[in-house]
Amino acid sequence: MRGHDIDVAFAAPQGSWTPVSPRLATARRILLLLALVPLVVAGIALAIVGVGVVWLALYAAGLLALLIWAWWIIGRRVGSFGYAERDNDLLVVSGILVRRLVIVPYGRMQLVDLRAGPIDRSLGITTVQLHTAAATTDATIPGLLPQEAADLRDRLAARGEERSAGL
Amino acid sequence: MSDDIAQAAPTDPPRRTAPVTPLLQGVPAIPFFVIFAIGPAGSIAGDLGVPAVVVGILGAVIGYAIAAAFAWLSWLKRTYYFDTEGDLRVDSGVLQRSSRRLQLSRLQNVDVVSPFLARLFGLVEVRVEVAGAGDSRVVLRYVTVSEGDRLRREILVKATVGDASADPVDPESVHALDPAAMRADVLAQVPTGRLLGGLLLRSVTAGLLAASAFFIFVTVVTQGPVGLLFAVATGGLPILIVVGEFLTYHGFTVARSTEGLRLSYGLLSTQRRTVPAARVHAVALISPLLWRRRDWVRVQLTIAGLGSDSSKAGRDVLLPVAPREEALRVVAEVLPGVDLESLPWVSAPTRSRWRAPIQWRFLAYAITDAVIAARTGRITRRVQVAPHARVQSVRISEGPWERRLDLASVHADLAPGPVRITAHHLDLADARPLADREADLARLARGRDLPR
Repeated sequence: MRGHDIDVAFAAPQGSWTPVSPRLATARRILLLLALVPLVVAGIALAIVGVGVVWLALYAAGLLALLIWAWWIIGRRVGSFGYAERDNDLLVVSGILVRRLVIVPYGRMQLVDLRAGPIDRSLGITTVQLHTAAATTDATIPGLLPQEAADLRDRLAARGEERSAGL
Repeated sequence: MSDDIAQAAPTDPPRRTAPVTPLLQGVPAIPFFVIFAIGPAGSIAGDLGVPAVVVGILGAVIGYAIAAAFAWLSWLKRTYYFDTEGDLRVDSGVLQRSSRRLQLSRLQNVDVVSPFLARLFGLVEVRVEVAGAGDSRVVLRYVTVSEGDRLRREILVKATVGDASADPVDPESVHALDPAAMRADVLAQVPTGRLLGGLLLRSVTAGLLAASAFFIFVTVVTQGPVGLLFAVATGGLPILIVVGEFLTYHGFTVARSTEGLRLSYGLLSTQRRTVPAARVHAVALISPLLWRRRDWVRVQLTIAGLGSDSSKAGRDVLLPVAPREEALRVVAEVLPGVDLESLPWVSAPTRSRWRAPIQWRFLAYAITDAVIAARTGRITRRVQVAPHARVQSVRISEGPWERRLDLASVHADLAPGPVRITAHHLDLADARPLADREADLARLARGRDLPR
């Protein structure tokens, strides 16, 4: 899917984008299932109240369609993340509906955050987020393996130090 | 006085703010006490047969006395001085003492403001801001005009000591803030008539006022009261905004000084601020539709450390309304060597009309060795410029509709402020080269253009 709609503006600098771990898709799908629980409970409640079988079937079909669609979207969304380190800057791509590419020169980085929620930790993935003096800089790489994330952070910090020129 | 927290000893005796300060600070408490005295407490007094006026006055006096007494205590305990390292210390607190230290080598701004009430007594407040997250700001209220001026000069002088790259400032060369001394270096002044006209003719304001006029007309024709209600709804807020901005920006004056551009403005409460050119990250020239016949523009700035909520206090305005020529002259002071009139604009392709049918004709970007600029808007036009050295990161975004048209937008991320630089809806093939080029220029400009 990606191979065909990747275009000049979002091409990797050399070779290909470093993808994120497919475990990120697992984490997001767990969240999806959790979000669907209230809807399933509502369905069961409708069945107990005695709503017609046809309506229940429609409801279940709708729910199933939503699940399948979201499942597929999550797969694509996770597949859309990628990053690449150039000599002087870091590039991050993301997004399927709205495609984004952000270029952050190492010298502009103010801090690099590592984050991992409970689901992330149990699956062994971490989010790396870069901050610059601009609030609009949106450079977040979710779903990295903890070791990969720590290495990336250390490399970024080292390069940032070398090239930093203050605000 | 005991000074447990601070290590460094004061080099000069700690000073206090003006002694009438507590009397002024008590004033805002009066209305609350009057309301309280007439309201809940008044019912008891009413049973005793005391007239409401007496209760109200009594409430005002007692309330004022209490508030002033508390203010007096905290005034007594608040002192400021310069420590041995040349930083400004402010000790305060009655029960819990606190000692704030403002590292003046990281000074952002010294403002001298005179609110209406303080002004009647010839007092001002001094606002000192240093770079840093969170609580990096101190307000000393109130001091006399001469003390405020002296303090400001001392702070500016001490801010440059120990900064090897900066020329030491001669205390005598730091200008006094009085209007007479300013007049010599005035770059621009906004006459009252132009200010009022400009404020009334801003696109949204003018639109809403026109709507009000229409509703009033309808009311007159139909003799129905509903139209009048609409007129108040559409006209009320814009008039409040016009009056508010008129009072704020009245007598707006921009002058040149050794430490940057000096702004002074305000009718009821006057503000005097200094904008150091080195703190200016980006500039926006804004021209609403109805200003263009007279070729007026408003100039706004993104200033480091001000944050994005600064627009509320109007602190990001460099000129509220000025002829383009004058505005460019002032902008040249904060963006030296950039000619905004001859930027090599690259327009968005014609097919961008399908994505931005109204503004597509005006959409453009420009990139030179020194700056990146973007032009947007149709009704209210905005030209926004930032030096490469101020660009923090570069983004490309491509929405679904843009993808269909083979377009993409390139954003240059800046420090928080009113200026947003986005080259909207470029040809897709141009987006990546532009982004890469801007990232390179930003990186190179950093080492070259910013002394440090």
